[in-house]
Amino acid sequence: MAMTMSQKRNTFSAFRYFILTIWLLIVAFPMFWMVGTSFKPDKEWFAWPPVYITENATVRNYLIVWANINEYTKADGAHIDEKTGELSQYTQSLQRPWVALRNSTIIAGIATTLAVLFGGVLAYGVSRHNIISEGKMFQLLMLRMVPPIVLIAPISLWYRQIGLLDTITGLVLLYFLTSLPYAVWMAKSFIDEVPREMEQAAEILGASRWRTIWEIVLPLVRSGLVATFLFILILTWSEYLLALLLSKSEVLTLPVELSKYQGSTEGRVYGRQAALSVGITIPLIFVGLIIRKHLARGFSFGMVRR
Amino acid sequence: MTAEQTIGENLPLTGRAASRAQGIRRFKWTVLTPFFALLIFILMPALIAQVFFSLNHFSIFDAGDDDGWRSYLNASEWIGLELFIEVFNDERFLNACIRSLLFASGSTLGCFIVGFGLALLMYRPFRGQALYYIFFILPMLTVPIVIAYTGEMILYQNGPLNDILSRITGMRIDAQFLYKKEIALTTIAFLEVWNWTPFSFIIMMAGLAALPQEPQEAAKILGASKWRIFWEIQLPLLRPVILLCLILRFLESMAEFPKTWGLLQGGPGSATETIPVYIFITTWQYFDISYGAALSYVVLILMVAIVWAGIYFLQREKKNLDEMYFARPDSE
Repeated sequence: MAMTMSQKRNTFSAFRYFILTIWLLIVAFPMFWMVGTSFKPDKEWFAWPPVYITENATVRNYLIVWANINEYTKADGAHIDEKTGELSQYTQSLQRPWVALRNSTIIAGIATTLAVLFGGVLAYGVSRHNIISEGKMFQLLMLRMVPPIVLIAPISLWYRQIGLLDTITGLVLLYFLTSLPYAVWMAKSFIDEVPREMEQAAEILGASRWRTIWEIVLPLVRSGLVATFLFILILTWSEYLLALLLSKSEVLTLPVELSKYQGSTEGRVYGRQAALSVGITIPLIFVGLIIRKHLARGFSFGMVRR
Repeated sequence: MTAEQTIGENLPLTGRAASRAQGIRRFKWTVLTPFFALLIFILMPALIAQVFFSLNHFSIFDAGDDDGWRSYLNASEWIGLELFIEVFNDERFLNACIRSLLFASGSTLGCFIVGFGLALLMYRPFRGQALYYIFFILPMLTVPIVIAYTGEMILYQNGPLNDILSRITGMRIDAQFLYKKEIALTTIAFLEVWNWTPFSFIIMMAGLAALPQEPQEAAKILGASKWRIFWEIQLPLLRPVILLCLILRFLESMAEFPKTWGLLQGGPGSATETIPVYIFITTWQYFDISYGAALSYVVLILMVAIVWAGIYFLQREKKNLDEMYFARPDSE
């Protein structure tokens, strides 16, 4: 039986909602599970059948992880020293999430600012005066695309030699280098879209090049640069490998801090991991949603616009 | 226009043009010098050290903690290309390469198929589009290491995924997604797909939205079926975007580390030991710096070749992309 046009459209619409909703569930479930687990009391982490929505919601995981409150009791199976009646060393959390949060913020913040400022100026030069050819611009991508694992061991030895190992500066320099390709390409795609008339006018009126950049170009591409900044912030914030290998104890970042739970003496502590994960993820999602219109441009190095 | 006038106009201009060119050159080097300085300062010593370690037998245990590079020299012994020969005969390395290639191509294709499919369903406005879009980009905004640990909570044997699958199928499903050799790598590839489908999705959405409407409408008026419009008009126009999507994703997943390492550290056995994990284990668990350096060099050359090829294609397609955007100056 032939379908009319509107029937066809309705079938397609139903089909579309069906597929999209299935994917929505696939996307949302891990998020839901992460948030859910962070509110579950200890005995429900491994319960069978799994507890989907806990009836005994608690913020204890958050308190232990973020406020470093040791609320272990005997009921949790904690080792309590018989003589002193205090918690044994094993059950005390050795994590320092606020230090990690501070480190992550400082490192990602500084590296991203540097990358965007430098990348912005370089992008201006490329866009307006072709100071590096397109071929070289593509070679710049190497900095990002060659996996850092192949150079990280000698870099770490070199860093140890010059005292940059386990310092904020050391990580900032590497993050700056690896996020530079994104910064230059993304900023260039924004600068390309700004008309040149005003710069030319400024030049005729005798403004210096740096003044033209600071007072005319940068204000015009401000929103684009903010998007670039936030985009690179996402990348540096979630970086794991470099942070893991170039920090020992001083400059733990949040992803490394989280991974410490996995190998800790406390065993598998899903609730705590989840509580920390939620804290790490929320700022990123917040930032990402602000710049959602520019994500395609960012991830494609400005090659796909809109 | 007389000859005199031409000279009169040109002379001062050449002077100004020359000083302008000089100004641009000065600007260029003001910008590039710090960049190259940093590059040389950080990467050069590393590359040299890498050569040194790969040509010498060096053990970190023989080197003292405090002496720095002198102790490295004392603790090393020249062995020439021996380690490189070892790398090329290393079956474990070969397996790691195969795993990495399988993992990268599988997850790239997975991301692309799901992402493109979703984009095709969604690129025309409909009720709820914005909401779906926001949800669909969330995985990309999640920290990979968080995905690894949340993945473990969901995938472990008594976890919710087995429970849900059991309820849906009505059978007791008891899969060990992570600890069975045969499926561990596939499981991680699925996590990678979950993580990065949004990448393909947003790029294909942007690509579809930027397609010129005229050829499609013309074809429709001429009576072409939707299927034919897709194959013969949309797909060819989308080629640069599709290639971009595949290349970037492939290169990134060749280097994937947080999920493979965070979840399984290369295990069970060596079922998830991809190239980055193998280098990591060699260097940071066996502390075999020399062999790690030789491995790294081989991988470095391999990856530079792959990235070079990728960049070559990107550069070619960038031209097509730019033409596409310049053909529609009215677009955003």
